Amino acid sequence: MELLELNSVSRRFGSRWALRDVTLRLGPGRIGLLGPNGAGKSTLLKIIMGLLEPTSGTGHVLGQPLHEDGTWRRQRIGYMPEADALVPGLGGAEYVALAGELAGLPRRQALRRAHEVLSYLELEEARYRRLEEYSTGMKQRIKLAQALVHDPPLLLLDEPTSGLDPAGREAMLQLLRVLGQEHHKSLIVSTHLLGDVEQVCDQVVILNEGRLLFQGNLSESSGRRHDRYVLHVEGETTAFLDDLRLEGVRLLDDNGRGRWRVAVPPGWTTRAFFLLADHHQVVVRGLRRDDEDLEELFRRLVSAQGRAGETAVDQGAAPGDGVQAGGDEAS
Amino acid sequence: MTRQPVFEHEATPAAVPPPSAGDVPGRRPQRFGLLPYRRWGGPLRPGYHAVWPIARVALVLMFRRKLFWVLYALALFTFLMFFFGQYLLAWALSQVGEQRIPLWQGGPRINPTWLIQQVRDGLGINGSPQMYRTFLGYQGSMVMVVLALAGSLLVGNDFRYGSLPFYLSKPISRWHYLLGKCLAVAVFVNMMTTLPAVVLFVQYGLLQADGVRTAWSYFTEQRWLLLGIVGYGGILTVCFSLLLVATACWLRRTVPMIMVWAALFIFCRLIAAALVNWLHGPATCRLIDLWNNAYLLGSACLGLEMATVRPQPQPSLWQAALTLAGVCLGCLIYLNRQLRAVEVVS
Repeated sequence: MELLELNSVSRRFGSRWALRDVTLRLGPGRIGLLGPNGAGKSTLLKIIMGLLEPTSGTGHVLGQPLHEDGTWRRQRIGYMPEADALVPGLGGAEYVALAGELAGLPRRQALRRAHEVLSYLELEEARYRRLEEYSTGMKQRIKLAQALVHDPPLLLLDEPTSGLDPAGREAMLQLLRVLGQEHHKSLIVSTHLLGDVEQVCDQVVILNEGRLLFQGNLSESSGRRHDRYVLHVEGETTAFLDDLRLEGVRLLDDNGRGRWRVAVPPGWTTRAFFLLADHHQVVVRGLRRDDEDLEELFRRLVSAQGRAGETAVDQGAAPGDGVQAGGDEAS
Repeated sequence: MTRQPVFEHEATPAAVPPPSAGDVPGRRPQRFGLLPYRRWGGPLRPGYHAVWPIARVALVLMFRRKLFWVLYALALFTFLMFFFGQYLLAWALSQVGEQRIPLWQGGPRINPTWLIQQVRDGLGINGSPQMYRTFLGYQGSMVMVVLALAGSLLVGNDFRYGSLPFYLSKPISRWHYLLGKCLAVAVFVNMMTTLPAVVLFVQYGLLQADGVRTAWSYFTEQRWLLLGIVGYGGILTVCFSLLLVATACWLRRTVPMIMVWAALFIFCRLIAAALVNWLHGPATCRLIDLWNNAYLLGSACLGLEMATVRPQPQPSLWQAALTLAGVCLGCLIYLNRQLRAVEVVS
């Protein structure tokens, strides 16, 4: 069964389109939801949770049509908000047990699950402490605990590493990876931190100005650039580089320590690097393909849409109308 | 509502692996805390089951503050006065005989039973509907003071500290949340009004038992009085809980809460009194006094004539009922708007 299936879903607030004609099909897995502010991420999450109905379009979340009662979906979704969203005055275990009861667990089971989940998330020693006394890292973990207490198949995580120090961030990401890989939870991680998505997710969805810019596997997004290499050489490189230029290789970036990012012409083979190096008596220390990382992909897609929007405005059309939504744009 | 597995890999209750086995065969799952992650395959209950946990948590948070225990104890003083007053007068009656006694040596002789009855009626501790109206009136004043302090804690903090998105992201509707909060206020109001009044009713019935008449016969004869007490408590509960939740939702902090609450129940009363008694305005001017409106409806529940309500003149019963219904409706509309505006995902 598909985790999420949206067909031309749009949502309008007054005259502003928060989501525009989004068509999306996501299977179970770990999904990163990316986009700048105002991209429509929150609106999409609200639609997934059944807190908002789309203005137009159809779709299913966990097999349930979008227009049906959202409480069914929220029983199967655990939501970890970005803001604190705690109940001051309650202890950790009470808070998580309350979340369990609100999700539909009987009281006794909710308490039991709360203790289990808190222990799993390494909060067992802090479970009787008041929530106000929790550190930022503990607050993030207890927010995850309240989302996890009723064992939902889908977790929606809004900026899960927000405010964490590097160690705390790494621990949280590791936890999310394990939840996805070993406990088969589907995760939708909405974040501005592309590194988090790269570390945790296997699929990515990029939104901008309410439109879908890209949807696909992270490996697909990063394996699309076959003409870029990172070259690391040692020795007298001036003549070597001149020859590379003569062959049509463009030097994109030089780190000053013998490492270059280069773009090769069509038909170029990696063997040519070694032949030229051998000819000029330089040593090739490293050579790897310079795949486009998520950050570059994100920037490229967003700026491409921006340019397309400007062009469309110049030609008298509505902003964004000239941008092709979907994976084709990224290829 | 039984939770069905959504994906194929989701374990059914029968197929839940033992914790140590993990989810991937042959591979030990990564463990973070002391306990491994365990699945839950049991049924999940529908949203209305969440109403009581919301109310319970609100009450727990309130009673964790010593101030509320102090206020509750203070509020029980009136109850204790009525309780022991009833008991002492009943005890005194049981101690006197038929013989007349002189008021002073050589003075007129009077019937001691008659004297005690006079004292009883004078103090209003006679098990009559008036007694319960007076008692509920006193208790209601105390409830207003306590609720003014409790409002920010019960509801205001949910807005101030962002707890509301936590509640609303769960599989409950906004009305379940509202019902939970109103239930918390209702429990508190009834603990201070209806419950003590019912205890007084039961005590009076038990004290009436003698060789001729049983307590049960008193209860059956006076069942309408009991219903009246419950009805008065119900009016106070519905009006106060909606008004409190709406006010707390609007103001969120304790000090503004107290100011507005005082304006509603003290200044409105003074203005109404000034308009009707001093400026000789129409009786309908008293409708701005919400407490008076509740008092009129409570009197009607207890079967008392409007003419017994002081001071006179008073607006008619239907006008008071309509005003309170309008206020409650306004509170509901306001709360609906406020809750709809909450951003669960921000």
